Formats: sequence, C-alpha cells, structure tokens
Amino acid sequence: MEASRSAQYYIARQRVYRLILYLLLFAGCAIMLLPFIWMLTTSLKSSVAVLQMPPQWIPRDWAWSNYPRAWSVAPFGRYFFNSFFISITTTIGEVITTILAAYAFAKMRFFGKNLLFAGLLATLMIPGEMLLIPNYVTIVNLGWLDRYQALIIPWIVSVFGIFLLRQFFRSIPDELWDSARIDGCRRLRFLWQIVVPLSKPAILTVALFKFLGSWNAYQWVLIMTNTEGMRTVPVGLQLFSSEVGTAYELLMAASVLAIIPVLLLFFFAQKQFIQGIARTGIK
Amino acid sequence: MRLHRMFLVGLIGALLIGATALAQEPVTITFWHAMSSGHQPNLQKLADDFMAEYPYITVELVYQGGYGDLQQKINAAVVGKNLPTIAQVYENWVTPIAEILYPIGPHMTDEEKADIIDGLVESNTYNDVLTTLPFNKSIMVFYYRTDLVPTPPSTWEEYLAMARDLTVDEDGDGRIDRYGTGFRPAANPEQFLTLLEQAGGSILNEDWSEVTIDNDAGLAAMQFAADLTPYSFVTGEYMSDHFPYKVCMFIDTSAGYYYNNRAAQNKGVEMGVARVPAGPANQKSMIQGTNVAVFDTDYITQAQKEAGTLLARFLIRAENTVFWAIKGGYQPVTKSAYETDEWIEFVAGHDYQIAMSEQMLDGFSQILHPYYGDMRSIIATGYEEVMMGVSTPRQALDEIAAEIEPLLED
Repeated sequence: MEASRSAQYYIARQRVYRLILYLLLFAGCAIMLLPFIWMLTTSLKSSVAVLQMPPQWIPRDWAWSNYPRAWSVAPFGRYFFNSFFISITTTIGEVITTILAAYAFAKMRFFGKNLLFAGLLATLMIPGEMLLIPNYVTIVNLGWLDRYQALIIPWIVSVFGIFLLRQFFRSIPDELWDSARIDGCRRLRFLWQIVVPLSKPAILTVALFKFLGSWNAYQWVLIMTNTEGMRTVPVGLQLFSSEVGTAYELLMAASVLAIIPVLLLFFFAQKQFIQGIARTGIK
Repeated sequence: MRLHRMFLVGLIGALLIGATALAQEPVTITFWHAMSSGHQPNLQKLADDFMAEYPYITVELVYQGGYGDLQQKINAAVVGKNLPTIAQVYENWVTPIAEILYPIGPHMTDEEKADIIDGLVESNTYNDVLTTLPFNKSIMVFYYRTDLVPTPPSTWEEYLAMARDLTVDEDGDGRIDRYGTGFRPAANPEQFLTLLEQAGGSILNEDWSEVTIDNDAGLAAMQFAADLTPYSFVTGEYMSDHFPYKVCMFIDTSAGYYYNNRAAQNKGVEMGVARVPAGPANQKSMIQGTNVAVFDTDYITQAQKEAGTLLARFLIRAENTVFWAIKGGYQPVTKSAYETDEWIEFVAGHDYQIAMSEQMLDGFSQILHPYYGDMRSIIATGYEEVMMGVSTPRQALDEIAAEIEPLLED
C-alpha cells in the first residue's frame, strides 16, 4: 500500500515536472518563432495595415499580391541563381580547404605549426570593415571586380571552420593512424577514407555555417559588384528600404522567399548540425 | 584655281564631318546612385530621356545600396581607381576629395547657375567654383495631426506650449502614452541644426577659424531642445513608426511625407504640413539630400566627363527637376521649376506642398568643411545627450565645441 502510494506520488511529480518543462519549452519556442510569424503575416498585409496599432496578427485583407510585386521589383530570379551558385561553390571549396588545413593542424607535426595556427586565429580579431578597402583594391587589381571570382575565391577558406574541424579531428584517436600506417596507408588516403567519414557531423556543421554565411552576404557582394546580373538576394532586399522609410510588406514578402532555402536546409540537416556543434568539444 | 578651291572646300567639309563624328563619338558613362526600388523607374526615365536627346551617350545606372553603402563604395573606388563618371554624393563625402571633382559650373550658362536655389549654391561650390549640382533634395518641415493641432505652431514658444499640452498619460499609470512631439537626435541632427540656424547661430564662424556653436545663439537652440525634452518621444527609428499614436507633431524631412501620411491614415487621422516654427532669428530649415558629382581622374576620359556634365545639367532643368520631385517626393532644386505650370498644378492639387515649397526656397545647406561629417557626428551625440536628459545644454555645447576645436587645426 505504502509502496503503491509512493509510486503514485512519484508518477504525479514526474508529470508536473514534465508539464513545467513543456511549458518552458513552449514559451521558448514561441519567442523564437514570433519574428518568423510576424514576417509571414506582415508579408500578407497591405501597406496601410503594416504598422497599424494594435497590430493585426492575422491580416484582415490578405495581400497575396505582395509576393509578385516584391518579385518584380528586381531580377530576383537572377539574384536567387547567384545566391545558390555562390553559396554552393564557396561551401564546397571551404569544406575541402578546411578539411585539409584542419587535419594538418590537428594531426601532423611541422615547424611553426602552433605559431601559424595562432596567427590564423589572430586574423579573426581583425574587423572586416578595416579590410574592405584593401580587399577592394586587391580585387580590382586582379581584374575580378564584378565577376564571380571576387564573390567565390576569397571565401573558400574559413579560419573559423579550420578551428572547428581541428578540434574535432583532435578527438580522433592517433592509434587509428598508426594502424593505417602499418597497413601502408598514406596521409591523404587516411584523411579521406577514414577521418572524413568519422567527422561527418562536424563537416556538415562547417558546411552549414558556410552556406548560411554566403547566402546572407551583403556588404561584400555590394562592394565587389556593379551590375544587376552579379548581385544576390540580400542586395535585392535592400531595394525595399530608403532613407526615409521602408516598404515593410514587400520587404517581408521578399524575405520569406529568401529564407525558404535556408529553412529547408536546416530542417533536413538539423540532426547532424546539432551533433556537430555538440561533438566538436568532446575529446 | 578651280581645282584648288574644290580641294579647299572638300578639306573643310571633311574636317567638319570629322569633327562632328568625333563630337558624336559614342561614350558610355556610369552613374552610381542609392535610389531604392520606388525611385528607380523615375531615374531610369530621366536617363532614357537624356539618352534620347544625346543619342551618342549611354548612361549606365548602377544601384549601390543605401547611402552608407554608396559612400563606402565611393571611398573604396577612390583607392581602387575605379570611380564612376558621375555619382550621387553628400557634401561631406566629397569635400575631402574635392580635388578629384570635375567642376560642372564652368560648363553652365549664367542663367543656369543663377536659377539654382540660393540655399543650394554654397554647398555645391568648392574653391569658389560651382562644382557639383543639387539632385534629390528635401527640406525639413513640420508634420502634425490636424485633429489635435488645428493651427500649427508658428513660433518656438507656441511649439513648446502645444507640445506640453499634447503630452498626456492617458491611463494614469505614471508613464506618458502620447508625446506632444518627437525627435531623432542621433539619426537626424539636422533637426538641431535647423534650430541653431533659426536662433541665428552656426557651427563655425565665417572663415571657419573659430567654433561658434557654443555661443548665445547655440545655447538658445540647445536650451529650446532641452525645454522640449519632457514632451518629446526620442528615438532612433523613423518617426512614421510612431506617428500619430505616440507623437502628435514633429520636424522631419519632406521626403518622408509618403510614410508619415500613411502612418496617419492607419489611424484614420489627417496629417497637416506646415513650415517649421520660427525661431528668434528666422524661419529657415535645413535642406538635406544629395548632389551629383562628376569625377576627374586619369581613367575617366574627357568625353565621359563632358557627358557627365551634360547629364548633371539635364537633371536640374526645370521640367526634369519637377518630374523628379513629383514622382519621388523630393523638392525641385531650381527657382524656375517652382514657376512651371506643372509644378503650380501639382501644388494646387497637393496642399502640403505649399509649405514645402515655401520652406525650400528659404532653405539652407550644410557647410563644406572637410571635417563636417565628424562635426555632424559630434553634434548628434551632444544633442542626443541633451534630449535624453543626460547633459545640460551648456555641458553638451562645451563638449561639442571642445571636440570640434581640434578639427579646425588639421
């Protein structure tokens, strides 16, 4: 009887804990989702309803025309193509260079390794704005201005990605390399056939960060391009803002379109993404 | 002899044809601008009309983002030797690089130069030469809710009294629900510069050898701002985001009319536009907006510079500056534009333009000091501190003067 009462009390307490936990998670989820909900509903409002107070959470008059209107403001088709092309190529490029560099820093011994790595990390502290004009001059001198080379090549290396992957590679036991070496395996083969398969979550994390960064790049694209045919989605979004106001309904419509590829990517890869973040710190 | 004459005639004819061909040689110019999607079709139309009049000139319009982005791009292009032929510019962007501006004035007639609104001439003149030309200009005016402000204030005293009366705590919770007025000190120090001008003050003296912002006129302007503080909603956001429910009246650019009016319509209220209330010395307000500048570098050909000059002059023709103003919400930049039938008809059909037009013809522009941009930032900080109640007017002005002083020594 006593045992039964204890068990019931335990079950009830667990239910209460779970309820509180779910309420907290729901609240957190609502806070995170609110901006997206606002973006979506604003994209379907008329210009008059956008800033109405109290705010309309559900539009009274659904302005579906905002989407074709926003699309027609600029060659968004071309912008999306450029965004995809640049994001995919820089992601592939960065993954390759990052894997190679991270492996060297994690598993190989060479003169000046630690100093070189410290130097690389130090470059993370330099504000991007300071380098913008020198980089612009470099791009102009290379003849890459307003060309894909300017938008891709400087971005196929990431110090942050090297750091992230290095940490992960360090957690791979050295004994694996010893065994492989005994069997006649060389570094490059060991890297691509053993290390990389073991490091998929971390590599995917690097790839996701890169894709997001490239997709959202605005200032670099704007500075390094002059023609519409070379611009990307974030530059297109700027067209809805002026010095005296913003066409919020059109901006939100364009933003919804811009965020769809990123959302899809995250939904399909979220498990690996979270694993990668969690495991990079584990030895 | 006959042969000789024929040869001469032929030679002269060939030279003329050659000269004409050379004069008409195709030239392409690039025009960097920061006009957003709403303005771009209008700018394209102007470019198309220009190209129709000058078929040998091709104008490539290049959007370079917002004004901050455009400035950054121009700065990078100066170093990267990649400047366009012509660009939209704020005065303080190009004052430090005035030596690479191609003066447009010498290519204009006296009538064209005299036609530019007086308040815009000085801010386009470098080394006593009209160098750039005004382009998309707006003027600070006074917006107000007609239901709460039946007659807009005409003096500072009336403005202060009305702001006080309109500031209310509707639900009695000790927090103000509606402010009489609103200011954007950090984003728009031009509001304070308007008050400074109206008080008879200035940032510097005439020959720029002395800081004068902290004199009695400066103090009067800053004190007035401080007096308004308890009745002011101070923000960095667009005032249209808070008008008309949080703010009843405010000083803002005429270019913001569309957004401010839309905000009023949201609440079902009418918005009025009036001249800025008069200060002790005058009722002027500050002209904002950009000019167009043609660049003078060794990689821009003479033909391109001349074509850029033609485009700049084309843009300020009465019919074109009127078109640009009507379509874009800006103000025409020449006196004759205000006398055209088109503009008169537009004003007759849009009451708010009466005040805007009057204010524009009585406007003033920024000074062309090379460090005006830095001065503007310093003033914005001090002004904001006063509006936030952090500094007294005297303290703020002393700090502003102390920070501007070293800039005069450079």
